[in-house]
Amino acid sequence: MSENTKQNYLNHPKGIMSWLLTLDHKRIGLMYLFSGILFFFLGGLLALVMRFELAAPGNDIISNEVYNNAYTLHGAIMIFLFIIPAIPGALGNILLPLMVGAKDVAFPRLNLASFYIYSFGALFAMYTIINGGVDTGWTFYTPYSTQSTSNVVPMTLGIFIIGFSSILTGLNFIATVHKMRIPGLTWYKLPLFVWALYGTSLVQITATPVLAITMVLLMLERFLGIGIFDPALGGDPVLYQHFFWFYSHPAVYIMILPAFGIISEIIPVHSRKKIWGYKFIAYSTLSIAFIGFLVWGHHMFTSGQSVFSQIVFSFITYFVGIPTGVKIFSWILTMYKGQVSFTPPMFYALAFLFLFTIGGLTGIFLGAVALDIHLHDTYFVVAHFHYVMQGGTIVAFLGGLHHWWPKSFGVMYNQTIANIAALGVFIGFNGTFFPQFLLGLRGMPRRYATYDEQFVELHSYSTFWSGILGISIFIAVMNLFWSFIKKNKVDPGSNPWGGMTLEWTHTSSPPHPHNFEEEPVLQHGPYDYDQVIVEKTYKK
Amino acid sequence: MSEHHITPLKTYLIIAASLLFLSGVTVWVSYIDLGSFNIVLAMFVATVKASLVAFFFMHLLWDDKKNLTMFLMSLMFFGIFVTITMLDTGFRGDLGLNPETKDPINKRAAFYDTLPLTDTHGHPVDEHHEDKDHH
Repeated sequence: MSENTKQNYLNHPKGIMSWLLTLDHKRIGLMYLFSGILFFFLGGLLALVMRFELAAPGNDIISNEVYNNAYTLHGAIMIFLFIIPAIPGALGNILLPLMVGAKDVAFPRLNLASFYIYSFGALFAMYTIINGGVDTGWTFYTPYSTQSTSNVVPMTLGIFIIGFSSILTGLNFIATVHKMRIPGLTWYKLPLFVWALYGTSLVQITATPVLAITMVLLMLERFLGIGIFDPALGGDPVLYQHFFWFYSHPAVYIMILPAFGIISEIIPVHSRKKIWGYKFIAYSTLSIAFIGFLVWGHHMFTSGQSVFSQIVFSFITYFVGIPTGVKIFSWILTMYKGQVSFTPPMFYALAFLFLFTIGGLTGIFLGAVALDIHLHDTYFVVAHFHYVMQGGTIVAFLGGLHHWWPKSFGVMYNQTIANIAALGVFIGFNGTFFPQFLLGLRGMPRRYATYDEQFVELHSYSTFWSGILGISIFIAVMNLFWSFIKKNKVDPGSNPWGGMTLEWTHTSSPPHPHNFEEEPVLQHGPYDYDQVIVEKTYKK
Repeated sequence: MSEHHITPLKTYLIIAASLLFLSGVTVWVSYIDLGSFNIVLAMFVATVKASLVAFFFMHLLWDDKKNLTMFLMSLMFFGIFVTITMLDTGFRGDLGLNPETKDPINKRAAFYDTLPLTDTHGHPVDEHHEDKDHH
């Protein structure tokens, strides 16, 4: 092995400053990855505390006030500090330039700035925990959030700042996709993960400024007494919900579109078959991104908004099901008559198909006004969005981590343990959240620290399986990290899954500090398994 | 972009004069009572002025059309937000559960007999004094 091939982005250059001031997209991606995983564990810990409190009625472990803080922080940390930045910030940063054959993203310094803005915002959010928490729920609904004495201001300020990081990352990715592709890599030859990141970035730069505006308006009302949301000052509390959900509904697609992209990569590679309906998947990404802007009012069916707008929102909401269905059917048809291998990434992709479909279909229930008025703010909603966010995004994220782990670090984890952990995640997840659909149907409201005797059985069942889920995720992540300690290195030239995209075919594992030793020449499309034979090469 | 558009000074001066003129128009129409149309007109003039700045001073007219697309997209999303939010605020109370805000769908429905008359804040109102709230 020559000196040049031994060099990779992890060992060159050396020193702590070379990491903190790095402009390398892969190192920035790793910093996002590790901070994301840290926040994921923090948010997960809060979730388990809540679940164990709910194992039995009454205040057994924590008080009502602590519970209010716990669910607010769980929501805010999971959404703003983990799910939104995790896939684009971590996997997107590491992979996007590799997938388009570029040396780096279009604006490397801006990329580093995004990470530090994210960290700065996260500090504000962490300050709220030390300073006694925040109890409004992650949606910060007025009028309570303008009156609450808890740390609404530092938390919203933190989210305001993190929003800018999200906008800058989106901007960077759009410029990268437009300007940094190698010659011959036309739009329809881009890996679908790149399309997904592109769609996500469009939503990030168009929707996130509205979140910033909302947070500023909230602070203007708190500090200057300007009547925007408070009726006593001539404001409209429902207007807050319009503002908030105009961002936060598209934000749901910021969270799920990259997950769709990961699944679109995993399924063809591990089925060794050309993806079915490439253009349909690519355009469904863009149409989901667009329709996602027109449906925010379905979060507000019981807010007192006009019946006319309820009908409009309910009607448009159903349209989201069409491009989403297109994707699901395309993935299933990709596996049809393929050579499906049950590797850990594929297990996660299959789990995603089940869980996301349940999450998506229950979303159609909730999109119907009449049903939503009954189910609003019950555990049915809690179960629905966990099926989408955890069963969808986090399961896809874990799948993506397992898929690109040997590429990113040049080490292979124990695949048997990874498969067992994936199974544990799947069973534990369903055990935790399926009972919550039933709880919601029976009228159990969300955000309560205690409940009626009739709900004991389902709640304790949910709590038991949440323990299994927590342990399984912990094992899955530890198994990944264990591969560093065990130093189970893969050959730098290996392509363990037989991937056809540039990051597998044209660079070493882990990649060279400048990605490619020479500019890659495109020889085939990203999923041309029908035309080219790509060997699975996995040498220790 | 390899070619760089050079705008003649005359164009800049014409645009600057138009902006000053339109500022005058904004002040002038504010003295005319057009009811709720005042705000529409003021916003329209402001939009025209902002567009002039974007197109000529910021060179959007001669720039890569992708940038123009981005600019128009932001306007479109703003339009979507305002329009659909207005579908709510413009029709708020259209179910008419509050007898003060709207007539009930069916005035003879027994459901409405059980509801006490309330003002917009939900406080019970004496029917003889209900006009007070409107002053």
